[in-house]
Formats: sequence, structure tokens, C-alpha cells
Amino acid sequence: MTWRSWLKIGLLLAPGLGLILIFIGSVVYIAIAQSFGYYNLAGESGFSLEYWAIMFDRATYSRAISYSLYVGTASAFLAVAFAYPLAIWLRRPFSGSLMISAILKAPLLVHGLVAAFLYINIISYHGILNQLMQWLGIWDGPHRLQNDRNAVGVLILQTWKNMPFALLLLAGAVQSISDDVLDAAADLGAGPWDRFRRVIAPLSVSATQAALVIIFIGALADFSFQVIAGPVNKQSLSQLMVFFKGYGRWNDAAVVAVTLMGLAIVGSGVLAVFSRFVMRGGRLK
Amino acid sequence: MDAVSVRNLTMKFDEFTAVRDVSFDVARGEFVTLLGPSGCGKTTLLNLISGFLQPTSGTIEIEGKNVIGVPPEQRNTAMCFQSYALFPHLTVADNLQFGLKQKKLPHAERKARLSDVASKIGLGPQLAKLPNQLSGGQQQRVALGRALVMRPNVILFDEPLSNLDAKLRESVRLEIRAIQREYKLAAIYVTHDQGEALAMSDRILIMKDGRIQQSGRPDRIYKAPESSFVADFIGGANILDATVIGQVGEKNWRLDTKMGELTAQSDTPPVAKELKICWRAEKAQFGSGDLNTVTADIAHRSFQGNYTDLFFTVDGALQRVQLGEEAGELSASITFHIRPEDIIFLEAIK
Repeated sequence: MTWRSWLKIGLLLAPGLGLILIFIGSVVYIAIAQSFGYYNLAGESGFSLEYWAIMFDRATYSRAISYSLYVGTASAFLAVAFAYPLAIWLRRPFSGSLMISAILKAPLLVHGLVAAFLYINIISYHGILNQLMQWLGIWDGPHRLQNDRNAVGVLILQTWKNMPFALLLLAGAVQSISDDVLDAAADLGAGPWDRFRRVIAPLSVSATQAALVIIFIGALADFSFQVIAGPVNKQSLSQLMVFFKGYGRWNDAAVVAVTLMGLAIVGSGVLAVFSRFVMRGGRLK
Repeated sequence: MDAVSVRNLTMKFDEFTAVRDVSFDVARGEFVTLLGPSGCGKTTLLNLISGFLQPTSGTIEIEGKNVIGVPPEQRNTAMCFQSYALFPHLTVADNLQFGLKQKKLPHAERKARLSDVASKIGLGPQLAKLPNQLSGGQQQRVALGRALVMRPNVILFDEPLSNLDAKLRESVRLEIRAIQREYKLAAIYVTHDQGEALAMSDRILIMKDGRIQQSGRPDRIYKAPESSFVADFIGGANILDATVIGQVGEKNWRLDTKMGELTAQSDTPPVAKELKICWRAEKAQFGSGDLNTVTADIAHRSFQGNYTDLFFTVDGALQRVQLGEEAGELSASITFHIRPEDIIFLEAIK
């Protein structure tokens, strides 16, 4: 190839590859470098494992990892679990299916912070839910539902917000399975559950993997839902990172950020392999 | 007991009636073809038998059991789909064993049935391949094998050869028939290809607008169509309006037609004075005869290899004569005659 050809290829790749290398790559590089003591804004810069060592000794750090993994994984599975039956139900168009589909996707248009505030309004001490339960005579007095210890509120919000996204991916995959293939499965003796297990699930495994991974990464790094509706005794990794940054401890914040990125990569891989294994009936190929 | 017994079956989709009051039986080991143009209701009828649709009224019995309301997975039928409907994520072996696993057959029996059917359909070397690695003909065989391996009471074919080229269609057609005979299966075969129906069937049911127009052995239907639709659909007969102008002897009738005066011979009398008649293109005899001699200007010729179609116009409608090598000697006009017994009476003109 001539230098002109190389130049042409380089220029063509620049908008895509350049963006990744310069904008994303530089941020990742700075975070990793800071976590190892470089680019220290409040002291001496130089290679050091001190920040990692101190962080590993902190209980809040390990609690934040397990809590964020819990929120990320549970949110991803719950969103996909709710989206799947809806995707199958909406597979064949019927009267009103377009309207139902549009309503189900409405949460995509509502910002997370707004959704969290609306949710808090509903479950607050003097909110609609408490009033309704008392009016129905189920509860004698108001219950404290906000910022629950098990992060049920966060999971509800994450599922509510992410389910439409999972539905979008799964609906496309499920709709691409031909009626004849499903009819053939029924004809060969497969009932509704077996049709799902042996045909629909394996044929929509890629969409499921994509939905699980993308929702997991988003929920793992959740900040807004956690701050408003999350438990007060636990911090997510994002919260912890913001906490360190707030005190000007950039290197500690970088350690948490790198942890978050590492967990996102490893967790995504594990989820992708696990979902493929389960949905293909115990096979990876 | 018949393998399949359909009685007064009707299927309506809102205002549209796809199948109207259809009744027929299929005996064990019999190969019955549902033949008709697109939209005549033949595939709907097949879907009703397989259980993918529930009829508006009527009954379906399979091996003497009423299966109305029984879902497809609980019916002892197996379907070969037009699109083959193979499971794209499973190998040929897994496709073939799908139904057997569903039935929870022991591993040893599954293996035995798999190797038996794989050798029958000639797919032994392809068992580890995915469907997208196979040719159209091989995919068709897998679909056939997947149905056969279930050893069903009834096997249903929904235009299974329509995606294959002409040569392959002919060979697979023979294979299907041989396997159906060997397993003594009751088979219901849907097609719009009259050649396929004539070549394969023990019995043909010709459908139009959701009704069975005529049923019978292929040769019987070809030789004695009862309506102009059947005559035209099977073999493309020449159809003419005729008026009966007299009877000669016991079986001969004189007819006035746009092609001139013709004499027809029939065991049964014409159904009306004004009626439709037909004659087959290949029944035309080259040259003059004692009766029914016609001379016509050739409008168009179509060489078909072992014969030539010569077309001429009668009252604006194209008529066809099929001749062998003698067609080559003809230039502008043709003289031929039709034997009286080759003219068939059809329905009355309304």
C-alpha cells in the first residue's frame, strides 16, 4: 500500500477510532494512572500501590462492591425477567398492541432523577401508598418505606427504568423467530414452556446477553437512584467515588473508578457466559 | 377405521370463510393431496388438522379420536413445512431428535431411530451440521426426517417442494412417496402444482373458495373433470360453450360450438341443453377425421421439447393443440380432429 492509501484509511478511521482513543482512552488512562499515584493533584506524583492497599482494608469499599454488584445483577435479571413475557406476548400484532408497546416504553423518556422523586412521593411516610393502605384498612398506621435496607426501592426503580430497554432488544429478537419454527416445535410435542426453553430462549440469547450486560453496567454504576431512594447505611461504588472526590481525594476516587470499570468488564463477561449457558440448555456452543 | 376423518369442517376469519363445510376421510397408508389455487383454503385445512387453528364448526377425528380443542403438541400428527421450519440453532441430529426428546424416549431408542431415519433420507454425513450449512434439498430432507422419526399416525405436507428447483423437486417427490409407502403413513399433501398432485397421489381433493370441487383418483380426475374449473386447473383443458342440438344413437350427442358442429360420446347425458364442454390438447389428432375436423389459423406456437403447443383463437379465447414432430411441418394453419369420446361434458351454463 502507498502512503496515500494509509493516509486515506487513517482519515476514514479517525472519527470513530480517534474518538475512542482520545476521549475514552485518555479518561481511562488518567483514572488508572491516578489510582497508582500519578497525576496527584494534592501531593507528590509517582508510582504507588498505597491507595489500593488502603482501599482494600476499608470495610466501606468491600461493602460498596458487594452492594453495587447486588444492585447491578438483580436489576439486570429483574428487567429481563419482566421484559421476556411481554416481548413474547407482543410478538404477534393484535388490536391495541402498538399502544401497549408504546406505553411500556414510556419510562425511557422519563429521566432517572425525576422517576426517583416520583417514586419517593408515592412511598413516602405520608405518600399515596401509605394513605391507600390505611384507607383499605390493611395497615393501621403509616409505614416507613423510603430508603429501605435491602434496596428494594432502588431495584424497583432500576427495573422500571430498564425494563423498556430490555423489551426493545428482546422484542426484536423474539419477533424475528418465524411462526413456522414455533409451530414446528409445537407439532413435535413442545408445549408453551418447552417452546420457550428449547426454541425462543436459545434463539434470543444474543439479545438477552446484550440487555443483561448493558443494564448491569448502568445499574452497577447507579448514583441517582441510590442517592434518592437507596439505603442510608450502604454506599454504592459511585457514591463512594463521589464521596472521595468531594474531599479532594482524587487518587482514592480513581481506585474506586478503576474498580467500577473492572467489575463492569468482569461482571459483563460472567453474565454473558452465564446467560448463554443457561439459555442454550447447558451448552455454550 | 380411517386415519383421518373430517366432517362438515368450517373455518371463518371474521367475515371471511376460508373453509366451507368440508368432509373427507384419509385411510391408513393413503396419500391424499389437497390441490387448488392460492387462497382456496388448502393450507387452512391442513392447519386445522394439525391443530394450529381451531375450526368454527365441524369435527376432525384422528385414529377415531375427536381432536377438536386438542393442541398440536398432543396430536399424533407431524408436519413438513413449506419453509422447512428447521431450528437454526440446532444441528441436523438435534433437529431430528427434537420431537423424540420431547417424548422423553430412552437414549438408546432415540439413537436407533436417528440412525434409521438418517440413512433413509441420506443425511448420515450431515448430522453434525447446522441447517444453514445445508442445501435446500438437504434442508427439505431434514424436515421430512424430523417428521418421519416421530412415526406419527398422520403426516402433513404443506407445499414442501415449492422452494426446490424442478429437477430436485422430481427426485424428492419420489423419495417422499417411497418413504410414505414404506412406513404406511396416512399422508395429506398440500400443493398448487397439478403435476405434483397427479404424480404422487392416491387421491386428489381439488379445492376452490374453501370447498372441495371434486375428489378422486388422479387419472379419473384428469379424464373426467366435473367442472370447467377442475378441467382447466388439471392439465389446462380447452373449454367451450356448447348447445346440444341432437342425439345420435344411445351415447352420441351433436353439439353446436364456436369451433363448429362437434359430436361427443358419453355414457352420461349432458346436464343441460346449454353447457360447457372440454377436450384435452394432447387428444387432438393431426389431419382430417370422420367427425369433429377443425381447421384453424395458428396464432402462436410454443416448443416444449418432446411436443409443441399450437394456439389458435375461438371467439376470442385461446385454444391449444399439442402435437409431436408433425407440428414442425405446419406454417400458418392446422387441420386436426377430435375423437367424440375425447369431448367431455361439464356443468350447465348459468
